[in-house]
Amino acid sequence: MDPKDKATHSPARAALLRLVPLALLLGALVALPRFSDMAFLNAMVLVCIAALYAMGYNLLWGQAGLISFGHATYFAFGASCTIMTMAAIERGSSFPTPLLPLAGGAASFLMGLVAGWFATIRTGVYFAMITVAITELVRAIVQRWDTMFGGEAGITSIRMAWGPIGFQKLIDVYYFTLAWTVIGILLLWFLQRSPLGTVIRGIREQEERVRFLGYDTHALKTLVFAISAGVSGMAGGLLAFTNESTNVALYEGAYSTTVLINTVIGGAGVFLGPVVGATLTTLFGYYVANLTYYWLLYMGLLFMVIVVCAPRGISGLGVDAFRRLRSDAPVPWGRIVRQAAGWLAMALGCIMTIELIGAVVQPSYGALARSSGVAWPPVRVFGISWMPASPLTLGGIALLFSFGALMLRDGVVTARRNVAKLAEAIAGKPEPGP
Amino acid sequence: MDAFLVALLNGLVYGLLVFMVSAGLTLVFGMMGVLNFAHASFYMLGAYAAFLSGRYIGFWGGLIVATLAVGLVGLFSERLLLRKVRSFGHTQELLLTYGLFFVLEELVKLLFGPTPVAYRVPDELRFTAFTIGNSQFPFFRLLMGATALLMFFGTYAALRFTRIGLIVRAAVERPQMVSALGHNVPIVFSGLFAVGSALAGLAGAVAGMYYPTSPAMAHELGSIVFVVVVIGGLGSLNGALAASLLIGVMTSFAVGVESTFGDLFRALGLGGLALPGLEAVQFSSIAGVLPYALMLLVLLWRPAGFAGNRA
Repeated sequence: MDPKDKATHSPARAALLRLVPLALLLGALVALPRFSDMAFLNAMVLVCIAALYAMGYNLLWGQAGLISFGHATYFAFGASCTIMTMAAIERGSSFPTPLLPLAGGAASFLMGLVAGWFATIRTGVYFAMITVAITELVRAIVQRWDTMFGGEAGITSIRMAWGPIGFQKLIDVYYFTLAWTVIGILLLWFLQRSPLGTVIRGIREQEERVRFLGYDTHALKTLVFAISAGVSGMAGGLLAFTNESTNVALYEGAYSTTVLINTVIGGAGVFLGPVVGATLTTLFGYYVANLTYYWLLYMGLLFMVIVVCAPRGISGLGVDAFRRLRSDAPVPWGRIVRQAAGWLAMALGCIMTIELIGAVVQPSYGALARSSGVAWPPVRVFGISWMPASPLTLGGIALLFSFGALMLRDGVVTARRNVAKLAEAIAGKPEPGP
Repeated sequence: MDAFLVALLNGLVYGLLVFMVSAGLTLVFGMMGVLNFAHASFYMLGAYAAFLSGRYIGFWGGLIVATLAVGLVGLFSERLLLRKVRSFGHTQELLLTYGLFFVLEELVKLLFGPTPVAYRVPDELRFTAFTIGNSQFPFFRLLMGATALLMFFGTYAALRFTRIGLIVRAAVERPQMVSALGHNVPIVFSGLFAVGSALAGLAGAVAGMYYPTSPAMAHELGSIVFVVVVIGGLGSLNGALAASLLIGVMTSFAVGVESTFGDLFRALGLGGLALPGLEAVQFSSIAGVLPYALMLLVLLWRPAGFAGNRA
């Protein structure tokens, strides 16, 4: 927070300013089932799980500065252990159903202790590579160990009633997931505010200095890794609880990628940033995935745009905008409109290109072309039929891209400079000597 | 003995292939501290480029086109993308190359579908090079090994005996110092990045015929290559070579082992440790695990890797 903000607003008011929106949000989430249909409620359950997963993940990144590329292992292990506990309850164990996510969390915490001990021997990119390798190691074992993890078929179990709560209706599952997500996020919040959190941020900034102060930084990093794994495992447990099944496919790279993308899109630097990212991508994915086969490609492109143009993510942009509004600087409406229009044009152009290419390269398209006798049969995008080879369509796409580039011309200037530099570099490259 | 020789040769060929991909990665990494997550994607792109161009200009032409095309892709991704985020630090570079890895995989799925394409060894190369005992050694495997060896000696000679090589070696060790001596390190870096990508592309073009050419091949080899870089040590070609060969040979031999986990536990005197179902799992079926297990051991014993001197 700016010193200027502090001077004009008292801390109590600042705290209120933060708490009131959060309380309203929580109220809205609690009241949601009264207004929502089943499909949206189902999507919100997935949002809660993705949010808790991303928050656990971001403990490692945002606080300790360590980026894991293999967190799916802990998420999936939590799910597997939860489903095993559910199966045990089904067989008559007295483990209380409401505490199920803790079983997954504890299992992943223990696994995180071991994996984290190895991974945090090194930092930076080495850490990243080791997390990838550990994930592959675990995946290779789990996929062979069918009697334990169920193999391709997976393990299924059912949610057993506990006391008055039946856990059969979706609304029960929703409140259960929401409650555990809030508990998990509160836990992370207090951890961040605790002395441990301070030391961990110290390690991120200057590890040697913290070691000099007498802390065992390797042990601390291992602990953070394990807590992060544990919270991710809780999220995995919630997924197992919701789906009443798990599968070894959970251990694959996709779940490591999703959480990383969610965190980057939301912004790792703001406490609730990952929640923003998880909400956006999960909701979009839930509704858009039915409309296109290439949802993952769009997500990857969005990810790259965010990394290059907004390294602090959406929540970082939001924080900047909020600061700007509260300071006296004039709002640059022209620039905002220009950028928005530019990005919109670029996005439309990309979607058109990808959907058209995607439709044209399908084997069925070739068959259609042969049977109908038309060289380029029409393709439906946005509910409109386009002729893929007509100059109108191609010109329209080119127009969208040119318009977008013009609107984002800051970027165009840079690109022009880069090309000039490249040409200069190629022209002036020194001859290799003898 | 024959089986031993065949396993050894297979392991060496696979190890050399892994080395072809990891060489570019470890040099780029040593020089600028950029871990290129998308490096294995360039390997995949090489296979697809050779598959696509090979249909029109034949196998050998396809190899050349794939190498050049992937080199260009590497050059552009360095100049147009990586440069943009350099000022934000290594984290942002790592994320960007990860995004590239993801997007390239999805793009290939968009264009060629998620299943392997029919990129096969051409018929004129489908013959047996020599026979050891009863097992025939296909010529194509020999070709893969020879390509990798040629590449190794080529790279080694270029690094050892040319002026550019001298600058590159110096820049891997002390980039700031080389820059202070008046060499344009960013240009050298771009060139190295392009050459490293081209080599990965060549490796993909050769290997894609033998192993399935699918969007998953980047992921499969990528993690092995990381293991090689961690084990071999920062920016060290020799370390990467040793690690690649070790992993190749080890995996190749493990596939032939018929023992199960149960045998291991009994041998260790832990026969009572009845882990459900794990007893019957054969080692050979999880031979892929060995490189990762080796990495964990090396981390314990020598965190900087075989040839690493910087942590």
